[in-house]
Amino acid sequence: MDERLGSLLLLNGAQCLDARTIMDLQENGLSPEAFLEGGEKLWKERKLSPGGIRFLSEGISRKWHLQEYERCLSREISLLSFEDPDYPGGLWDLPDPPVVLYCRGLFPPPCGLVGVVGTRRCSSYAWDVAGSLGRALARISLGVVSGGALGIDGAAHGGCLEEGGYSAAVFGTGVDQIFPMEHEDLFENLLRGGGALLSEYPLGTPGKAWRFPRRNRIIAGLAEKIVVVEAPQKSGAIITARLGGEIGREIWAVPGRINEKVCAGSNALLAEGGYPLVSVPDFIDLLGSPGEQKLLFSEDVCEKTPVSPPGEKILAFLRLEGDRTVDNIAQEVTMSAASVTGELALLEALGYIRQTGPGRWGAAL
Amino acid sequence: MSAVWGMTLRGVEALRVEVEVEMTGGLFVMTLVGLPDVAVREARERVRAALRSLDIPLRGRIAINLAPADVPKEGALLDLPIAVGLAVQGGVVPPPEGALFLGELALDGRLRRVRGAVSGAILARDLGVPLYVPRENGKEVSLVDGVEAYGVPDLASLFRHLRKEAPLLPLERENPAMEVPFVPEVDLQEIKGQAQAKRALEIAAAGHHNLFLVGAPGSGKSMLAKALRGILPSLSREELLEVHRIRSTLGLPFDGSTLPPFRCVHHTATTPAVCGGGSRMQPGEISLAHRGVLFLDEMPEFRRELLEAMRQPLEDGSIAVNRASGSVTYPSRVLLVCAANPCACGYYGDPKIPCRCSASERRRYAKRLSGPILDRVDLHVAVPRLTPEELLSDEESSRENSRAVRERVLEARDRQRARWRPFGYSCNAEVPERLLRKNIRIGTRERNFLREAARKHVLTGRGMTRLLRVVRTIGDLRGEEELSLDMFAEALGYRKDGNSWMNV
Repeated sequence: MDERLGSLLLLNGAQCLDARTIMDLQENGLSPEAFLEGGEKLWKERKLSPGGIRFLSEGISRKWHLQEYERCLSREISLLSFEDPDYPGGLWDLPDPPVVLYCRGLFPPPCGLVGVVGTRRCSSYAWDVAGSLGRALARISLGVVSGGALGIDGAAHGGCLEEGGYSAAVFGTGVDQIFPMEHEDLFENLLRGGGALLSEYPLGTPGKAWRFPRRNRIIAGLAEKIVVVEAPQKSGAIITARLGGEIGREIWAVPGRINEKVCAGSNALLAEGGYPLVSVPDFIDLLGSPGEQKLLFSEDVCEKTPVSPPGEKILAFLRLEGDRTVDNIAQEVTMSAASVTGELALLEALGYIRQTGPGRWGAAL
Repeated sequence: MSAVWGMTLRGVEALRVEVEVEMTGGLFVMTLVGLPDVAVREARERVRAALRSLDIPLRGRIAINLAPADVPKEGALLDLPIAVGLAVQGGVVPPPEGALFLGELALDGRLRRVRGAVSGAILARDLGVPLYVPRENGKEVSLVDGVEAYGVPDLASLFRHLRKEAPLLPLERENPAMEVPFVPEVDLQEIKGQAQAKRALEIAAAGHHNLFLVGAPGSGKSMLAKALRGILPSLSREELLEVHRIRSTLGLPFDGSTLPPFRCVHHTATTPAVCGGGSRMQPGEISLAHRGVLFLDEMPEFRRELLEAMRQPLEDGSIAVNRASGSVTYPSRVLLVCAANPCACGYYGDPKIPCRCSASERRRYAKRLSGPILDRVDLHVAVPRLTPEELLSDEESSRENSRAVRERVLEARDRQRARWRPFGYSCNAEVPERLLRKNIRIGTRERNFLREAARKHVLTGRGMTRLLRVVRTIGDLRGEEELSLDMFAEALGYRKDGNSWMNV
């Protein structure tokens, strides 16, 4: 391991200086190596936190950086420092870019990334939107970057993987940790499908509430555009969107019901001038994908199997009004509950409709 | 020496007990041997007082033996044979030539209702002897054919009968179906909306398919479960006997109704309360619901251990209760209805009330919904909570009543019986998978559809069998042997993973 990477690992582990500060120091003739040799006196002068100073002095004496490097090698985790040519340019837009990125899987990404973020406690509607966004992005060969959390994050990653797309999850823990446990399979599929798990935190870092908002800046930095699918006022997704807005990313939000707290944050973004995402195909069109990739998408639409005449009637009704029960539908199209149940099962199998709640149906996106 | 027969209960089984009495001179003392429980031991006081009321005083040393000596005896129903035994020994009445007596005595000589009279009647029939029971037990006892049974009001009239002074009349054979008109406690017509759930109830009743209802609080799950009882075929005479044999063991009243039982189990119930057992090896709720409906409300709240314990009886239709003192088998052929909320707070997916659960809470809840019991359920139905506007728009006149639905159910049952009788089964849910597949012809169009459905919905082998069972019942409800594509489509709507909105 070259000495430079070792020093940067140590500085990253201390979490006191960002990439930009280290660059400035270097320009003033203070290389990272020299900074570390300077000892506690210099560190205190530079106003490092007591925790950071402790980490550095212990890390240097125990050669923590060498051990960490070995650990990364043995687990096939690659390290990208800010000096690496592969270090994503988007992160330089941040006021405080990470010093080192730990990466599992394929990174840097082979395609542009769209950030799809939102709350963990999402509605089934938002879950559906996030999933179809992920799928639609994958179909035009764009990737998804998100936080790998439950709810919207998971739906977006999952949708993207379904269509064989590239997906990157940025962790607020060490990249070797699995959090939340429920997503163990998702992360495995993500790696198998050529995606990446990323984190700026040293291996073994446990999940702490304050780390998650900080990692959101990395999502904002990596994304070309950010879509907030559903988020309450105080949420990580809103932090991501605000950071993204500050560094000049386009912010999109999916409109939600105005009487529900769970979408108050995403709606507020719209009120403040975010782009409203009112149609997934239109949004995808705007991403300006090359013609041949679009063809792939429309071909898939044509593939859908035709529906029976009563099915058409039900579908037309559900497209007009969502959240309908079998009773409503049976009354509207004058069919028996038994045949409506049959038609609904067929329509669902074909992907035209979905259950929006217990016994309620709506047209699929 | 004289021998008079009584009985004791072991589970639902009646065991013959011979009451032997010996009287010798000396000061008055009455001893009772043969493993009596407290109720039997206290019989001494009731018997003495009852005989005294007839001016039959007891004198000298009296030994009463209950044989066989090594079987524990329980309950007050041995009062009567002990009293008769004493009377015979005292020369008040002639020795009966083999007769079974059961009854609890009041101090003034009246007879009180006892537990286990139906089992006693079956024992008397098997022994071929007359049966004497308290008059209050008369109705349930007359369910048993081929037994000469007498309903006895008090000890005095029994003695007159035994002395042939004033003979009692044997009980008439009861025909309960005629007596009590069929009135379901919840009629389908009373339930607003829920056309799909009602249809699922109809299929469940027709093919005896277990049912799972999921929906928000207040969506009417319990009401629907109760309505199921009213569209099931009424109990036949044999079934009524099976049901009341169990009920009478617990001393539950007999109302002469042929409505199938409906038992609702709360999730705090103990395993013996549900599956049977305890020190007296009593039947549990699952046996009390035999030939009827067992309703498990708030299914995810049930302890896993309890659900595990219920799996075997649900599968076998009977449950063996094993204790150190022996083992008893109870029947447990029930139609299972489970109900659950869609999530811990109950409102996930509701259009009006927002859900307060986090994704992980929902996952945990959904996880509890899978398991041993739900694998035995053929029909999975989501019950929407209707909005006030939806409730108002639904008119009662347009709804079908239970009677009409029940007619169709009965016809479908007849068709199933005709088809499966040669193989020894009576309804589609009982038929083993191999036989079912052999008897169902699937056309090319339907086969292609099934293949497609299996791919899209990831139907497992077991899921496919469940689907075929339900399709068969839908066909029987329509009176068609040939199964068509739309029947398959409908059955697919009741599949297990149909609740896709819960996967978030």
